[in-house]
Amino acid sequence: MKIFPCALILSGLLACNPATSVAQGVSYDRILHSQSEPQSWLTYGGSYSSQQYSSLKQINRENISNLKVAWIYQPSKAVSNLEASPIVADGVMYITEPPSTVTALDVRTGLRLWSWSPILPEHVVSIGLYATSRGVAILGDTVFIGTADSHLVALDAKTGAVRWNVHVADNAMGYAMTGPPLAIKDEVIIGSAGSEAAVRGFLDAYDAKTGKRLWRFWTTPRPGEPGAETWGVGASESAGATTWNNGSYDPELNLVYWGTGNPAPDFNDDERPGDNLYTCSVIALDADTGQLKWYFQFSPHEDHDWDSDEPAVLFNSTIDGKPRKLLGFANRNGFYYVLDRVTGKFIAGQPFVKETWAKGLDANGRPIPEPNQEPTLGAGTLVYPSITGGVDWTSPSYSPQTGLFYVSVHETGAYFIKGQGKIEPGPPKGIVGGGGIRALAGEQSYGAIRALEATTGKLRWQFKLLAPAWVPVLTTAGGLVFSGSDEGNFFALDASSGKPLWQFYMGHAARSNPISYEVDGKQYIFETAGNAYIAFTLP
Amino acid sequence: MRILGAPQGGRIMTAIRRIRIAAFIILLWGLMPNRAAASGRATQDAPNANPSPSDADQGKQTFEARCSTCHGLDGGGAMGPNIQGIPMRLGAAAVADVIKNGMSGGMPAFAGQLDASQIQQVIAYLLTLTHKDSGTVTGDAAKGKEVYDGSGCATCHIISGQGSGAGPELTKVGQLRGPGYLKTTLLYPGSDLPQARVFLETGGLLDYMFVHIVTRDGHTFDGTRVTEDSFRIVIKDASGQFHSFQKSELREFNKEPGKSVMPSFKGKLSDTQIEDLVAYLASLKGDQ
Repeated sequence: MKIFPCALILSGLLACNPATSVAQGVSYDRILHSQSEPQSWLTYGGSYSSQQYSSLKQINRENISNLKVAWIYQPSKAVSNLEASPIVADGVMYITEPPSTVTALDVRTGLRLWSWSPILPEHVVSIGLYATSRGVAILGDTVFIGTADSHLVALDAKTGAVRWNVHVADNAMGYAMTGPPLAIKDEVIIGSAGSEAAVRGFLDAYDAKTGKRLWRFWTTPRPGEPGAETWGVGASESAGATTWNNGSYDPELNLVYWGTGNPAPDFNDDERPGDNLYTCSVIALDADTGQLKWYFQFSPHEDHDWDSDEPAVLFNSTIDGKPRKLLGFANRNGFYYVLDRVTGKFIAGQPFVKETWAKGLDANGRPIPEPNQEPTLGAGTLVYPSITGGVDWTSPSYSPQTGLFYVSVHETGAYFIKGQGKIEPGPPKGIVGGGGIRALAGEQSYGAIRALEATTGKLRWQFKLLAPAWVPVLTTAGGLVFSGSDEGNFFALDASSGKPLWQFYMGHAARSNPISYEVDGKQYIFETAGNAYIAFTLP
Repeated sequence: MRILGAPQGGRIMTAIRRIRIAAFIILLWGLMPNRAAASGRATQDAPNANPSPSDADQGKQTFEARCSTCHGLDGGGAMGPNIQGIPMRLGAAAVADVIKNGMSGGMPAFAGQLDASQIQQVIAYLLTLTHKDSGTVTGDAAKGKEVYDGSGCATCHIISGQGSGAGPELTKVGQLRGPGYLKTTLLYPGSDLPQARVFLETGGLLDYMFVHIVTRDGHTFDGTRVTEDSFRIVIKDASGQFHSFQKSELREFNKEPGKSVMPSFKGKLSDTQIEDLVAYLASLKGDQ
């Protein structure tokens, strides 16, 4: 393999990449126009639209069978739960190593340039989640990470030196950050996890230069606030609706779109009658003020732990002869939704997996519930989909080339059981679940990559997997769909037909967003598995 | 279509490991919960031998509060894997270590959240969630050993280092399986398979699944599933030989739960012999 020594000398990066402006770094303008530099991967989902799409096509249907491993990076200390989507810019790849380490790699070789780790408390509270990081955001010459103990930290992109570090929320109360920040304009937006610790969800924006908080939107109301009437008697303890993954952004509308998690307690709804706004929703906030422009609640009064924290996919298409700005969402509750992202109005939706809890969606997209599908005492109620939903947080992909929406689905159900569940004041002692589930046997479950018509949700094709997989999806202009199995396969399918074209056994399930980038005229595909960060390219 | 790594020419039949073929009687297949136990790992990590019922009760409460969201209320798996009886497979010390420090695949570290006694209580509870407690011993273990030795069981099973390894090791099967389950398996092998091969989110695939395969060129293979992914399957035949296949290159690929490569001993051994054999197997605690 060819080595580029200058790439290892940080100050030499500029000399190696005369065409790019490292001094300026990754400007907002560059991220806005990320489609014009497909050699980079500048946000979690590849662009502000979270399409998980690369317009690179050097690797394509004809030559995919030759795809080989180029390099593997493994952290010096064994880690687990790799879920980070890397950021690739100007010859450097920024990854995270769980729980909250940021590492910069030479994108050509996988060699480490620098690494930064926070000093975490001896015991990080991680209730209902595990302490991992889904990656960083980049803006200018700074990268940003949300840590397991709920700090937002800004690091110099060339050295890893800390520029600022702000304490966002109290980890002792159950707040923990796993999702990547979203950097837009001159601000950094980030949420937190913790619904199973019964925290109150929020979404924050911070000044990218100083770390000063610009706004906060609480995702559950307090008495007297809009939505309080949807929490029964008073909303004084409304909890949940955490914002533990990445969001999307429409610069023309200046709206940030973010998914929200389940209400607390998950399975026992005795103390929270009503729709429980804004849980299990997608919220559209003004990027400058954090004010709510609209919301769409997928699962009103949810009691199956079906968070809605998958990144919302933004795409434009034509409906009834009119060009429309749309938002696609394959929800954990088993329904695929198409919304007007200007207004939040429901356009279309239908199940993309087996579901037994709703008869369908009404004209406004509100589910029409089936009776007797709530968690019950004793043996519980068999409901499809399972607690893990039709898909959980793993990113789907939209290909402008095919107009299809690709998602890795879970076909399985579970017995949902109601138990004791009451929110106690003070630091959480454990999961405030209010029940639990019994899973169906593995033989009664399976997974699949499904291609849906993006404007309707109609199934175009599927590729079945042995087990329900937790693997995001990437599509490319090479006519390919990349994803993985829970058994450890990483594979490519024909984006038009679903036909398998290539597979590589990584030996462990992938969890990260597969991404693509180009350097020195060569396209790479990237995925993680187990303890390994793996770059693939053509020989 | 070409899948990377697939040799050309249709059928693949790779003997990964050859095991001595001594006989064709396969006894007691399916009695061990998984291959980790057969590997003999962590045999020194026997858990608290006699946890009290109150330990298990306390452990149940802790489990339901802290563990069940991921592992299911019965430990049978949810977002996390099936962990019923897992202290017997991995050893209590190893399980305690995982609870304290977490592990790959999503298991968080509970150090600082659960103390040592709470962890031992959870382990005591997990031990109750197995096929261990069914039935009672009515036979004579000493006579059962004679039945075992005289019926060719050792041609497929190993006890304390003696025998052949095509089938599961039985050195401590009495700790893992109760008399009722042992009897059922002798009479109806494959009728009640344990869940063992787990993926992150499901309740686990059945271990010892019987698989029938016909390749494109007409060769037939029957065996027990060793491992499977979305593209490949590996089986172990009655002689203990492994065979690996690309699923896309098979004419027939059927999973047949309820069947087993182990023959039924219903009608072949007397009721008394069966009860004695059950008594012998139930007495095997791994301490010989």
